[in-house]
Amino acid sequence: MRIILSNILAIYRRELQTYFASPFAYAIAAIFWLLSGFFFVIILLGPDGLLVQIGQRDQAGITEPPIDVPYQFLSIFLNLLGSLALFLLPMLSMGLYSEERKRGTLELLATSPVTNWAVAVGKLLGVLTFFITITLPIVGLEAIAFSASNPPASFNVLLLGHLGLILMAAAVLSLGMFISSLTDSTILAAILTFALMMLLWITDLIASGIGGALGEAIGHLSLIKHYSDLSRGVFNSSSIVLFASYVFLGLFLTAQSVEAFRFQRS
Amino acid sequence: MIEVEHLSKTYGATPAIADITFSVEKGEILGFLGPNGAGKTTTMRILTGYLPATSGTARVAGFDVHENSLAVRQRIGYLPETPPLYTEMTVEGFLYFVARIKGVAAGDRAARVQTAITRCNLIEKRHTLIRKLSKGFRQRVGLAQAIVHDPPVIILDEPTVGLDPRQIIDVRNLIKSLAGDHTIILSTHILPEVSMTCSRVAIINKGRVVATNTPDRLMEELTGGNGYELEVEGDFAAVQERLQNLAGVKSVEAILSDPAKPNAADPLPEHHFKIRLVSQPGADEGRAIAATVVGAGLGLFEMRRTAVTLEDVFLELTMEDASADPDTPDANDADLPEPTNTQQIPEPATGGEAA
Repeated sequence: MRIILSNILAIYRRELQTYFASPFAYAIAAIFWLLSGFFFVIILLGPDGLLVQIGQRDQAGITEPPIDVPYQFLSIFLNLLGSLALFLLPMLSMGLYSEERKRGTLELLATSPVTNWAVAVGKLLGVLTFFITITLPIVGLEAIAFSASNPPASFNVLLLGHLGLILMAAAVLSLGMFISSLTDSTILAAILTFALMMLLWITDLIASGIGGALGEAIGHLSLIKHYSDLSRGVFNSSSIVLFASYVFLGLFLTAQSVEAFRFQRS
Repeated sequence: MIEVEHLSKTYGATPAIADITFSVEKGEILGFLGPNGAGKTTTMRILTGYLPATSGTARVAGFDVHENSLAVRQRIGYLPETPPLYTEMTVEGFLYFVARIKGVAAGDRAARVQTAITRCNLIEKRHTLIRKLSKGFRQRVGLAQAIVHDPPVIILDEPTVGLDPRQIIDVRNLIKSLAGDHTIILSTHILPEVSMTCSRVAIINKGRVVATNTPDRLMEELTGGNGYELEVEGDFAAVQERLQNLAGVKSVEAILSDPAKPNAADPLPEHHFKIRLVSQPGADEGRAIAATVVGAGLGLFEMRRTAVTLEDVFLELTMEDASADPDTPDANDADLPEPTNTQQIPEPATGGEAA
């Protein structure tokens, strides 16, 4: 057990090192910060922003029902952040295995006394840590804005929203990692992951299109539904279970596909 | 240390290796010699647990490579054909990573990495990013990663490919210095490499081991020593069988039969053939050969004794590849006069430099 943990740690550290040494990762982070910062400012201060709307309401004399601005803002912003992450996450996961295959380093991992699971877990933790790191400045933005807000922002909503973002990222990255393990083309991995994410994203629409019990069942698989629940501060253990299931599924399929790759490689 | 029994591997319907059996004793260096695509890499991949065999067993240090894969992987250092390198890491950082995933205890890591770096002559490059290293240095980092955890068994897939002559000598010396404590299998298609580094050779062709022995014994047993090279004019086919039936002749083949071949250094006139005869051990049938050729009404233009090299063994054992690659003997012949030429030229040249 200790050996497995130390292996996971070794893979994790190497993976992190790769991200922090890679100009590509910084480019992704920069785009993410630029766009999320832009959304943040537009939603809050823009011409149609929340503050302007509140001001117009106040001028018109409407005070009922009272509006919880931080709450409103957070759910809108987190939803946008989720969509943005959906574009960026496939780019983070695309190289996880395809690069190793292309460079032949998978042969090193596969001939080392490390299980496929340990490699997959280490890699997922590494890329997830990188994602969490690039969301930290956004938490900083929120802290600045909410420190001045009245009524004060609910800490629970803030926490749940970000937990939701991380869980969704973990689910997307895990599935993306599996797709990356199927091909040695990084671009193909990104495209396929993106397609899968779109599918999971619009499961809601598909579900309501089908309707009935089947539709409802499919609807539960939707990433966006569970994520927006969490971002609105609604804690539902089924959301946690769903995200955890996606993560586990991704890890399981990755480990299996690397094993199968060994068996059929010519 | 390594026992391989009846190992076979097929990709779909194509057999990559078929019924391979060999064993390597502790401390030996076994050279895997074979043309490209003979199954060397496949065999090595099976030994390292990277590929499963279709049938047969392979055991490393007493552990079955399939059943006990993790135990085997712990005891093996492996350098694949392309060195598996994380190019964004420094040499030292990469070796630390490999030491970690190979299960080197935390306390030993610094010493092991240091040893590997020293052995592979990487000291001045230890803090360099692998991305910035030349091919030769990358190959050495690949070697260092194979020995960093001090494994009892080291498997090297074409370790000297792409290196300059100086580096090749370094790598060969390194490999030789590893023998004794380590059991080594290396694959190559460079013939001198085998006689220089290996204590035993396994010649592998079309997925089968066609011979195993020490390099010297292989030459002795398989070809006996002498042979002749002839240039004759006339119908080669008519005389081939008669030559073949002479006492002491082991094999007869035309090595250069097409005078129109553009890559022949010295094109033969029409109806001329170059023939290579390989003798049985201890036989010297020169007189009979000449008599047979002349007696058959063919013209004999050249006849000379050839010393047998490992190359001949190899060519004989992998006959079809020999005919596909007729340059090899000629290239050697062409090399010979060159040193004499260059020796003559440098004298005035060095004189000029001195002045």
